[in-house]
Amino acid sequence: MKALTANRLLDGEVVFWNEGRWVEQFSDAQLFDDADPAGEEAVATGKSQPTVIVEPYLIDLTETEAGPVPVSYRERIRALGPTNHPTHGKQAEANAVNAAIAHAEGAARSTGRLDLIRRK
Amino acid sequence: MYRYDEIDREFLADRANEFRLQVGRRLAGEITEDQFKPLRLMNGLYLQLHAYMLRIAVPYGSMDSRQMRALADIARRYDRGYGHFTTRQNIQFNWTKLADAPDMLDALAAVDMHAIQTSGNCIRNTTSDPFAGATAEEVDDPRVWCEVIRQWSTLHPEFSYLPRKFKIAVTAADHDRAAVKVHDIGLILKRGDDGSLGFEVFVGGGQGRTPYVAPSIRKHLPVDQLLSYLEAILRVYNRHGRRDNIYKARIKILVSSLGAEEFTRQVEEEWSKIDVAAANLPDTELARIRAAFAPLPFQALPATSEAFEAAKADPAFARFARNNVRAHKQPGYAVVVVSLKKVGDTPGDASADQMDLVADLAETHSLDDIRVTHEQNLVLPHVKLDAVPTVYAALAAAGLATPNIDLASDIIACPGLDYCALANARAIPVAQDIAARFDDDRADLVGELKIKISGCINACGHHHVGHIGILGVDKKGEEFYQLSLGGSGAEDASLAQILGPAVPANRVADAVDTLVETYLTQRSGEERFLDTFRRVGLAPFKEAVYAEAH
Repeated sequence: MKALTANRLLDGEVVFWNEGRWVEQFSDAQLFDDADPAGEEAVATGKSQPTVIVEPYLIDLTETEAGPVPVSYRERIRALGPTNHPTHGKQAEANAVNAAIAHAEGAARSTGRLDLIRRK
Repeated sequence: MYRYDEIDREFLADRANEFRLQVGRRLAGEITEDQFKPLRLMNGLYLQLHAYMLRIAVPYGSMDSRQMRALADIARRYDRGYGHFTTRQNIQFNWTKLADAPDMLDALAAVDMHAIQTSGNCIRNTTSDPFAGATAEEVDDPRVWCEVIRQWSTLHPEFSYLPRKFKIAVTAADHDRAAVKVHDIGLILKRGDDGSLGFEVFVGGGQGRTPYVAPSIRKHLPVDQLLSYLEAILRVYNRHGRRDNIYKARIKILVSSLGAEEFTRQVEEEWSKIDVAAANLPDTELARIRAAFAPLPFQALPATSEAFEAAKADPAFARFARNNVRAHKQPGYAVVVVSLKKVGDTPGDASADQMDLVADLAETHSLDDIRVTHEQNLVLPHVKLDAVPTVYAALAAAGLATPNIDLASDIIACPGLDYCALANARAIPVAQDIAARFDDDRADLVGELKIKISGCINACGHHHVGHIGILGVDKKGEEFYQLSLGGSGAEDASLAQILGPAVPANRVADAVDTLVETYLTQRSGEERFLDTFRRVGLAPFKEAVYAEAH
C-alpha cells in the first residue's frame, strides 16, 4: 500500500494527496494498492502542479491495528513532526492514526531520502 | 564590533528586495524549482522535512543586543518561538514559510544581518574564538581578521562557485576554541621569532564522509599577506578541486591526493604570480576595520570581587562559577558562558524569551556584546565579576545557567532526522538521553568530556572530533549509532576511532554510560577522558561496551 506525499511550495508543509487535492494530515491521505497505477498517475499530476507542491513521491505503508502507517521512520517523522517538540507539527492534532504512527515499529529506507541522494 | 555603513545597508536592502522578486516569480510559476533552488540557497533558505529552514549568518559568532532582539522577534513572528544555534556559530529557524522569507530578510537587514553565503559552494561564515577580545591568551584580536576575510569573501566573483563549500576558521590563542584544524583553511595567529604577527596556515582539514586534520602548509605568513595567500590557495582549489564527484570535491581531498608538500608548492607558485600589492588589504582599510574592534571601555577594577566570592556560599552558584565562568584579560571581569544545554532541552535551541533575556543581560552587563560558540552555547564576554551573581540569577530563572560547559551534558547535536532532509537518524533525542545520565554531580566527577552527535555522515554535529563521537546511521532502515572515541577539535586535534559495530538507538545512552564507567576505572590522577583514552587505547572501552552483547 502507498500514499503520495510532497511539501507545499508556499510554506514547506508536508502534504498528502487525496482525490485531486492536497491534505495536511496523513489520516486524510488517499491510499493506493501497490499495483494500482493510480499512484503513479497521482505522482504525475503532482509534478504538473509546480506552483503548489515540491518534490512529490510515493511512500510505502504498512498495516497496523489502527490502519496503514508509513513504513519508514523518516516518513513517520514527516507525518507527525519533530520528536523533540511534541506540540509542533501534525502530531499536535490528536487522532487515532497519528497515535498509530507514533507507536509504529519496523522501518525501511525512505523513498524520499533515496530520491534526495539520487538527485545529488 | 564592526558596523555596516550606508553602502552595506543599501546593498542588503536591495538584496532582500531581489529575493522578494525571485520568490514572487517562483510562486507565480515564472521560474521552476530547479531554477529557484540555487537562488533560495544563496539566501540561506533550505527545504527541510517539515518546512523551510532559514540559516542566518552571525559573522564569527558575534552580535549585539539589538541583533539578538531582532532574532527573538523573528522567532516569534515567523517561527514557533525559538531558534537553533549551530556549529558554524550561526542560527537557523526551522519553521520558515517561503512566503515569509523576504520579510524575514528585511527584518534582518534592518539590524545589519543577512543569510548570504550560509549555503552553496562558496566561502561560508568565517568562525572564530568566542572569547575573542576577552581572553588574555590571544596575541591579537582574531575578529579583525575574520572581518577582513568576511569583506573579502562576500560575493567574491572568483570564489562564489567553488567545487564545494568552503569554511575558514581563525583563532589567536594557544587554546583552540574554534576547531581550526578541521576546517578547509584554519588560521592561527602567532608571534614569530622576531615578534611579528603572522598566521600559521592549515589547509585541508574537515569532517564529513572523509575526515582529515589539516596539515600546516606555512608556519608564519605575515599578516599583511593574508588575502593574497588565501587567493592563491583558493585558486589552486578552484582549478583542481573535483567538480565531477560531490564526495571528493572538498579541498581536503585535493590536499590529500596531491600530498601537503605538492599542494603547498602549487600554492606558493600561484602566490608568486599574484600581484600581491593589489591583492592584499591596504593598511588604511586594515586600520578602518581594526578601529571597529578598538579596546572597550573597561573600568579599572580589583582582580577579585567580594560579591563574586561571597556568592559562592551558594553551592549552585559555586558550581556555575567553576564550570561556566572563564578568565578575562581585564582584571575584575569574567567571560560567562550561557548554556543552551539544559538537560531535557534541545542542544543549541533558545526560545525568543531567552534570546531577549540574553540581549538584556548583554546590554546591561556585557558591553552589549554576545557570542555564539561552535559548541552551540552563548557567551557574555565582558561581565564584571561583581555582576556575575546577578547575571547568574537571571540566567538560572530562564533555564540558561546549567553548570555544564565542557562536561558530558554539554553535547553538540545537529538537528538530525527531526528536521533535516539529509539525516539518516535523529541526534536530538540521543543527546537528551545521554544528558539525562549526567544531570547531577556525576558530570563534575567525570570532568571534561565532549560528546558530539551527527545524524548523518555530513558530520554537522562534529562527531569525528568528539571525545565520544556518535554517528547516526541507517541500518536496513533502522536508526543505529556508530560510536567513536578519542577525537578532538581543540589544539590537540585528532580524529576519533570507531569503537565497533553500531548499536541501536535504545542502547546508545547505556553504551556511553559504560564508556564513562570504564574511563573512571582506568583514570589516572586528573586525566581527562581523552587523555585516558590516548593512554590506554580502544581495547578496554571496546571490551566493556561489547561484553554486554555477548
